[in-house]
Amino acid sequence: GCFVFKPSPKKRKMVSLETAAEFRDSSSDSEDTNLRFHTCQSLWHQIKSETEKIQEDLNKQLFDNLLSFLRRSHSEFQEKTTKWTCQMKSKEIPTAALILGVNVTDHNMTFRNLSEVLQNNITPYIALLEAKDCPGVKNLMQKLLGQLMNCSVDLDFLEDENSLQVSQNRIRCSMTSLVHWYESVTKKTDSETPSKTRTSPSKHWQSPPVVVIFKDMESFTTKVLQDFIVISSQHIHELPLVLIFGIATSPMIIHNLLPHSISSLLCIELFQSLSCKEHLATIIDKLLLTTQFPFKLGEKVLQVLINIFLYHDFSVQNFIKGYQLCIVEHFYSQPLSVLCCQLADAKMRVNSLSQDQCENIRMLPSFRRYVEGQVSKKQIALLTEDSYLKETVQKLLEDLHVYQENYVLVLRCLHVFTSSLPKHPLGKQLRELHCTCLEGRVWETEEYESALQLARMLNKTDLVTMLQQCVEIFVSSSGKEFDKTVEKLKEFLTQFQKLEEAFQDPDVSMSPQKELQKKTDLYHLQETLLELKESRRCKKLTKFEMLRFEVVDYIDSLVRKHLVPAEQQTLHEIVYFNTASVLREHLNAAPRIAVHTALNNPHCYLKNQALKSDGGSLSNKAPDICIAYRLHLECGRLINLADWLEAFSTVVMAAERPNADAASSEQEEDIIHARFIRAVSELELLGFIKPSKQKTDHVARLTWGGC
Amino acid sequence: QQTLCGLLKKTPLDYAAEIEELNQQHETLFSKWMLQLHLGFNIVLYGLGSKRDLLEKFCTSVLQDSVYLVVNGYFPSITVRSILNSITEEVLDHTGTFHSPPEQLEFIIKRFKEDSSLELYVLIHNLDSQMLRGERSQQILAQLSSLPSIYLIASIDHINAPLMWDQAKLSLYNWLWYETTTFSPYVEETSYENSFLVQKSGSLALSSLMHVLCSLTLNARGIFRLLAQYQLEKKDNLSYPGLSFQDFYQQCREAFLVNSDLTLRAQLTEFRDHKLIRTKRGADGVEYLVIPVDDSTLINFLENEDED
Repeated sequence: GCFVFKPSPKKRKMVSLETAAEFRDSSSDSEDTNLRFHTCQSLWHQIKSETEKIQEDLNKQLFDNLLSFLRRSHSEFQEKTTKWTCQMKSKEIPTAALILGVNVTDHNMTFRNLSEVLQNNITPYIALLEAKDCPGVKNLMQKLLGQLMNCSVDLDFLEDENSLQVSQNRIRCSMTSLVHWYESVTKKTDSETPSKTRTSPSKHWQSPPVVVIFKDMESFTTKVLQDFIVISSQHIHELPLVLIFGIATSPMIIHNLLPHSISSLLCIELFQSLSCKEHLATIIDKLLLTTQFPFKLGEKVLQVLINIFLYHDFSVQNFIKGYQLCIVEHFYSQPLSVLCCQLADAKMRVNSLSQDQCENIRMLPSFRRYVEGQVSKKQIALLTEDSYLKETVQKLLEDLHVYQENYVLVLRCLHVFTSSLPKHPLGKQLRELHCTCLEGRVWETEEYESALQLARMLNKTDLVTMLQQCVEIFVSSSGKEFDKTVEKLKEFLTQFQKLEEAFQDPDVSMSPQKELQKKTDLYHLQETLLELKESRRCKKLTKFEMLRFEVVDYIDSLVRKHLVPAEQQTLHEIVYFNTASVLREHLNAAPRIAVHTALNNPHCYLKNQALKSDGGSLSNKAPDICIAYRLHLECGRLINLADWLEAFSTVVMAAERPNADAASSEQEEDIIHARFIRAVSELELLGFIKPSKQKTDHVARLTWGGC
Repeated sequence: QQTLCGLLKKTPLDYAAEIEELNQQHETLFSKWMLQLHLGFNIVLYGLGSKRDLLEKFCTSVLQDSVYLVVNGYFPSITVRSILNSITEEVLDHTGTFHSPPEQLEFIIKRFKEDSSLELYVLIHNLDSQMLRGERSQQILAQLSSLPSIYLIASIDHINAPLMWDQAKLSLYNWLWYETTTFSPYVEETSYENSFLVQKSGSLALSSLMHVLCSLTLNARGIFRLLAQYQLEKKDNLSYPGLSFQDFYQQCREAFLVNSDLTLRAQLTEFRDHKLIRTKRGADGVEYLVIPVDDSTLINFLENEDED
């Protein structure tokens, strides 16, 4: 069933056709596809390297812990071997259990980084084992040995002949050969195994440990794992093994998989990796909320991506994949995305825009809105003169850039304020805030209202720390825009300090309470409480409160000024990608729904007048398979074929009766029978029914619901 | 089956114009697919209707100048091994044999990593067919598709097809989903489907063989295996009449598969009902047992059994 097609050899040269070419024939009009494609690629590569760096940074803590654990356990091991008394106990294998979370897809990267780190810092002998390679102990040993030997070969830079022999060695793989190999490598005693006469770098350390990483502990068969542990614990004197388990669920799994007698051979220490939510938060922070990358996600798209993450897979890898798809789709479909690059580049490219592209700019809805806001003279100039248009576009792009910068800063400030409020009206995470801001005007939402009200009741210390944080945020940015704001905020701070000094006299608020404590009898207490209430109601605001209002109002004004949603910016189409449907279709498809609508409602796909039907009923002119499907929906779990055929032929006859008379009914019946068979076997292929053995001539339905 | 086809040919296809329109709509996506394949995604097509013609069109219109492999997943005796074989033998021009599919896969991966100029488009019709839907075959295909220079386009039809992929496989496959509802009839695909409405003649297919055997007891499977092995040993002997019942009984007893003449006869009757074996009376009046399946299918079957 497999057929290979090869092009004729002379054509082969052509095979390496540029991907950019595919970019071209897609977008019909514009000529700068090459440029666009390269912008897209470079952007994607930047982002990719950035994400990898982020991942590395995040895992650093975990890896440091692991490294210290390995060092510790290994040095212990060496001590132990010297002391005979400890030899009794030294059957224990040091083991690190990494709890990695359910996002299996991200683990590969983690393990790759881990083995790199280990290789650089501790030992050249690392083997990565995956469950799918090791159905039995034999395969496991084979794999392990192969990897270890290749490891050392790689590090030693040996000649080919040696590596050849190594691969031959794979045939007789046992623990003893492994031990022999290890001895020969570490101590250079080349007596038994002739192929390993070599100077290895491992003389620097005294017998480096051999690290074996089990990538997915859960999917290993217990028997293999147990046998391996028992075997290796026998050899732990000669071969300092360290095991690392990658665990996706919880540490309980170790005890479920391994009986007590086995797990007592392990000396387990747990390590927790970073939760994927935090990982996502940093990714969003570093990728989306910077001005470093010109490409931005619209609100809906971001929402879809986050939803897929939170509700389906918890996988950062998939999030980034979705992001990549967004980038590709954006640069593919939007001809103006050529301007989606750093500001300086964009300005250059604006100058060299063609006439078609200028027309494209004029067609943008946001630009139209902008034109309508101008005076008529300018309007004419914008719509007719290309040079003037280019100038304006440059200015607008600059505005857009400034807007983005300010947006991020103010967003962070607002987050500082709202995240500490009780009940988190605007969300705990920065991404939630970002989404609400993109969605519409923040200050018109109810949540924002309540957040501000809560902010007005903040106490002083919190307020001061928050202000300080805000100042830090503003100072860290280089933009000149916020010099004034920083000054203003600093002024607030100094005022607060002054207030603090002024507040030393406590009589304003403290005195009534002191009185309260003095008075003990009930009547007086009631009276004073009432009094207190009165006074509070009409009390003049203290200086502090005045100031507090002022600060909150100021923040409010900042928000109003800078957090205008992106869609109201002119030319936002160039950098914002907002077609969520594309993403949803291609990443999170629903094949069952597609099949269902096609069967129930063929009119969606086949635009024919005859297929149009009202409500739930299906017209009898629908394709055969749709009719058969509809009829089968009306049955229970078991369907009688004869009845089904009867119903089918009735429906089809009714459809055909108008144009054919009953004379040739014999042959017609045969044809209908054949069509029915075809429809039924198609339904079987699609998985709606299966032949049933319970009754003769019946089929079983495999889906639920129906009429 | 023949008459069925003949009858169906007579009926004109309804709504041919509309279907044509749909197909044209899908064909506009070809260049986009190529782009996305090159960027490391793989494409999976779903929707009602056969997607065979569409993929064929994709081959002829876009892929003429490159190496591509077409896999007919609906073909009932296809295995992963045959896919891997055709890659190693015809694409990589390698003649050696391999012990197991994983080893073969390793070899392929190594070759593709070494030689960056190698590019291969793999088109799989019906990735979710009976023979390819197993966990192990999917794992191997997923690993294959994760290679950056192998581009995979597959089509699925079964409504529960996505169930066969877990997170790890999905991330290896790196799918982009495309809905391509074509409404065209599944002619090729259902021609292999052993529909109960049509009594099919001809030799047994591997998939149906596996299917029947899966529902048997362990001992019954052992009995069949014994017979199959014996037949394969004797396959070069042209005058081999089959295994006589007495010898077979002896062998089964030695393997602790049956304990009496009667149980073996009952078992053989069951096989005969499913057309798994045939009995012949020899010249000397002894019953001879033969499996009426061609040898290659039998070899495939034994291999599959070994893997499980």
